[in-house]
Formats: sequence, structure tokens, C-alpha cells
Amino acid sequence: MTFLESYLVLAEIYVLAALSTNLLVGIAGIFSVSQAAVFGVGAYLVAGLTMQAGLGFIPALVLASLGCIVLDILVSLPSLRVAGDYFVVTSFGIQLLATAVFTNWTAGTGGANGLPGIPPASLAGVPIESTLGLLALTSVLLAIGIAVFWLFMRAPFGRLIHAVREDELAVAALGKPVLRAKVAAAALSGAFIGVAGGLYAVFLSFIDPSSFDLDASVLLLTMVVVGGARTLKGAILGPFLLVGLPQLLDLINIPTTIAAPARQLLYGGLLVLFMLFRPQGILGERL
Amino acid sequence: MSEPYLEVRDVEKRFGGLAALAELSFAASSGRITCLVGPNGAGKTTIFNVITGFLRPDRGSVRFRGASLDGMKPQAVVRAGIARTFQNLRLFTDLTVCDNVMLALPGQFGERPAAAILRPLRTAREQARHREEAEALLERVGLARRARERVRNLSYGEQKLLSIARVLATGAEFLLLDEPASGLAQDALEAMIALLFALKENGKSLLVVEHNTRVVSRIADHVLFLHQGRLIAEGEPKAIVADPKLAEIYFGGVI
Repeated sequence: MTFLESYLVLAEIYVLAALSTNLLVGIAGIFSVSQAAVFGVGAYLVAGLTMQAGLGFIPALVLASLGCIVLDILVSLPSLRVAGDYFVVTSFGIQLLATAVFTNWTAGTGGANGLPGIPPASLAGVPIESTLGLLALTSVLLAIGIAVFWLFMRAPFGRLIHAVREDELAVAALGKPVLRAKVAAAALSGAFIGVAGGLYAVFLSFIDPSSFDLDASVLLLTMVVVGGARTLKGAILGPFLLVGLPQLLDLINIPTTIAAPARQLLYGGLLVLFMLFRPQGILGERL
Repeated sequence: MSEPYLEVRDVEKRFGGLAALAELSFAASSGRITCLVGPNGAGKTTIFNVITGFLRPDRGSVRFRGASLDGMKPQAVVRAGIARTFQNLRLFTDLTVCDNVMLALPGQFGERPAAAILRPLRTAREQARHREEAEALLERVGLARRARERVRNLSYGEQKLLSIARVLATGAEFLLLDEPASGLAQDALEAMIALLFALKENGKSLLVVEHNTRVVSRIADHVLFLHQGRLIAEGEPKAIVADPKLAEIYFGGVI
């Protein structure tokens, strides 16, 4: 497992998650801070379905993705009723709720100790043991994800979603289905992050609640903000930068006890700095 | 006599203790420009909201071409043939001028998420066709050269014209325009008045909220005077504008 290959796999997984976050938060304007919870459900579902139900990787990934579609629609439903700030608070509650379930449902998630021994990804029963193999699989899935995202955004559907974010009332006044557009955006976002979560589980072969907590949700938002919201290239750049940063921290040889909090400080600081000085991110549009 | 084109009958709408509309009844005819006038708080925008499904009246009914609109959602009202503009325009400022108009075109295949992915070519063909339609509409309101501009870069007068192009794109035949001429400089005002006449000639029917009595005198075929949620006078613009009692209510705010 070479360093570069692992970095690329992880960055690509986070690009899928960032595309999902960009779609929901940046483009549809549904300001969710519980994206990591859905990411986690995707990961736990793939882990559970392959380890306990004995499903193959691809069927498990498809089911996990479907599960996350349903979940993301449910999580976003309050946004159809409560607007703006209220939804952020609701979504915050959902994230805390999910973390509580991940941590305490020992039989399903392994609780705080996590879930070790997740089998590697496999295609038609053949396990993909090498990181290079997984990189190939991740790249194919990411390419599909990027194509889908691109097709969506250039279609009338993309325009509709942008408009819904700006002014739901005006969209309704033009005879357009606001509700359907929002639900569709949430579903698509769920599909992306479900696949990302599944890939994350098989890549690390071990998952625990700390990967899917509020910090992780903030990390996903930071990736979108830093890369640049509402654009495809921004959602690709952000994860590559932010997954790379901790690796750079490792290079300067600081003790591990400081490294983890330092990473959070770095993410938080970046978020604040970008919001203050470059709200449109490196390659994006103003949030 | 045949059934009126638009008929508002005994509509009442209260906000808390305040009656915004009280037993309001009126009719508007097809192929004409009907102006709604009255002092601030007379209920002009409220009745727009009721007709277009944004507000449910406490009592009363609205009928359009003989069919009831009661209980319809805004989307259904647009499909029935009535569309509105807003006083504060509510344009999509992040989108381009052309996209604002394209968005409003009805029956778009590519609006369905599955269609966008599974039938990209059909979606693209439809988009090309819709772009031409939108450009034709922009041509009609005199904004063709601004099609690719972001809305936020448009002047106020241009934004008002765009709001007309956008409501035209819905295909509705009955247009409710909320103060289309307010705040416009002389040139832009003349362009707007010419546009409203052109719409009428092309078979649209208009219900227009307008404050400027000189504009009302020029464009209106029929004037409805609202005061405290009731229709207190209606008739030819000349007669309404000349009525000293109405002028006092309008300018003096006397009860």
C-alpha cells in the first residue's frame, strides 16, 4: 500500500462525499450539517451487509446507496417545512442523534470500539486486495459520479435546483414543482454519499463513530467551501487539498497527541478564513 | 350574459383582527387591461396572492374561464393559465437572463432528474429548442442583447422587462402584473407601456396593480378601485381618475 495510492483513494472517496454535500448545501441550499451521519450509514450498511448478511460488495454498495437516498430524503424533509437557520439546528440534532446511535448500538455498529475486519471490495466474487485495484474501482465510480453530476447541472433540473435555492416562492409562481426538485436533490445527494461511505468502509477495513461525527460533517463543509461551492471543479479540488493537508502535517513530525487537534484547528481556521476573505472558495461561487 | 373571464366573488381574508379583503367581488374580462388601484393597504397584492394560490381566502371563491380555482396550489393555477409577477420582481439573480426565462417554460422533459441522466441527448435537444424560445421572448421585451448577462448586472428597468419575459414564458394567457411601471425612468416607462399594449394585442389579458394615475389613464380599459379590502368603485379610467372623492381617498388616506 503506497502512500500516494492511499491518498488518491481517500481523496476520491471524499470527492464523492463533497459532490453530495455541494449538491445539497451549495446548490440546493439545504444547509445540512449532518452529512457525515449519512456518510456513516453508508459505511455501516456496506460493512454490515458484507460481514453479516454475506452479500457481495457491489450489491451491498447498491443497497447502502438506496438506504442513504431514503435517509437523505428523510433528513432533508424538515427543510421543506422549516427554513434557513431552523433547519441548521434541526440538522445539528440529527447529526448528534446519529452519533449516539453509532456509539451505542453495539450489536450493529460495534459501538465506540468500532467495526474491524471489513472485507475488501470485490467484483464478481473476486476480492480487490491491492490499493491500486481499489484505486481503479474508486476512479471508475468517481468518473460515473462526476458525469452524473455534470449532466444534472447542465440539464433544466440543475437550473431548477439553483432557482429553488434562491427563491422557492418565485419558482412556485412559475408553475414549477419546488417540492419534487428538493426531494430529488436530496435523493441524488444521498446516492453519492452512500457510495462514498461504502468505499470508505472497505478501504479502511475498520470504521468507528469518530469518522462520522459532527467534526466529519464540518470537514465535508470545509472541503466544499475551500474548493468552491456550487461548482464541479470546486468539489473535486477541495477534498484533494484537505485530505492532503494532514499528510503534510505528518511530514513535519509533530507528536500524534498534537496532530489530531491540530488538524481540527486547521480545518476550523480555514473555514473562518475562507468565509471572511474568499467566500466563493478557490474555484466556486459565493455561498 | 356569458360567464366572466375572471370572477372574484365575496372573498374575505383576515390577518389576525385585520380584514385585508372584505367581501371583495369583481370581474375582469378577456383581452383587456384591467387596472387595480387604491391606496396602500387596500388589498391589491393580497387579492393577487389569493387568485394565484399563494393565500387561501377565509371565504369566497375565484373562478377563471368558468372553472373554480379554489384550493389550487400556485403551480396548478399557472397550469390553469394565470401567472403573476412580483412587486419586488423575485428574479433569480445568480442565473443568466436567458436561464431565468428558460426556467419558466412549461413541460420541460429535462426537469426530471432521471431524464437528465438517462436521456441526455433528448434533454440537450430540448434545451436548444427552449433557448430559441427564450431568446424570442427576450427579443419581444427588448432584452435580446442581454441574454447571457447575469441578472444582477441588469439595470432596474431591464430587470422589470425580464420579469415580464419570464411570466410570458409560463405560457399563461392571463397575467397579473404587480406594479410593472413603478420606479421606472421616462424611457423605460414608455418601453413598458408599449410592451403592455403589445401583450394585449397578442391576446393576453392583464390585471395590473398600478399607482401612477397617468399610467393607469393611458393603459387601462377598465379600472377597479379598492379601499380597505373592498371594491368601492369601478369603471372607465377617465371617470375613476376624475372622481374627487376617490382622489381624496387615494391621495389623502381619508376614511
